Amino acid sequence: MSEAFIPVAAISILFLGLPWLILHYVTKWKQASALTMEDENLLDELHDIARRLDDRMRTIERIIAADHEQPARIGESRTDVRPIGPGSENWSVELRSQPLRKEI
Amino acid sequence: MARRTGFYLDKRNGKIMGVCAGIADYTGFDVLWIRVGMVFATVFVFPFPLLAYLVIGWVADSKPGTLYANEDADPEDRQFWQKTRAAPGRTIREVRSGFRDIDRRLRDIELRYTSPLHKLAREIDDLRGS
Repeated sequence: MSEAFIPVAAISILFLGLPWLILHYVTKWKQASALTMEDENLLDELHDIARRLDDRMRTIERIIAADHEQPARIGESRTDVRPIGPGSENWSVELRSQPLRKEI
Repeated sequence: MARRTGFYLDKRNGKIMGVCAGIADYTGFDVLWIRVGMVFATVFVFPFPLLAYLVIGWVADSKPGTLYANEDADPEDRQFWQKTRAAPGRTIREVRSGFRDIDRRLRDIELRYTSPLHKLAREIDDLRGS
């Protein structure tokens, strides 16, 4: 009885159990980590927006810092004060708004 | 538009078929280490890595040119997608934390300009200037 049973069990484990186990974990892994195409595009856009907002915030923070470092002195009108702060020489570059990334 | 979480051959940076360069682009590891590992693996367990290399090089698609936005000038996008392939959940949380950071900084600026102290200081400044 047991001599007949062992090969059957071995073959069924080898040819049914093992592929089932592998496929089970493959599907699980795919479910866990797969981003759909829409998710990818959404994530890309959010990432892009976050970067651009971050750049803008940095520019604004720099402008405000420069404004507060050099308050108007007596006898000077505020408009005469040129903001001199770190990185003020490349403001023209920083202030230029970045174009939206071309949709492909 | 092509998927950015897929595997592609990188023929432009590749030596033979671009498989190692593709793996490097996919994972973010240095391409040199992958090539060295590939050669050693081929030497130690002879036919299998070579066969795998040939099969991958034959089956996988070549990388489309527009996968990342201007990747030569700005490697940030490529690094972002390498992280996303490894752990999508983590990069989503990172993007969220980026937005929270922007929100916090914006709130600081808003507070600075709407606080009564700031108004008072500005009025004093105006009086001094006039």
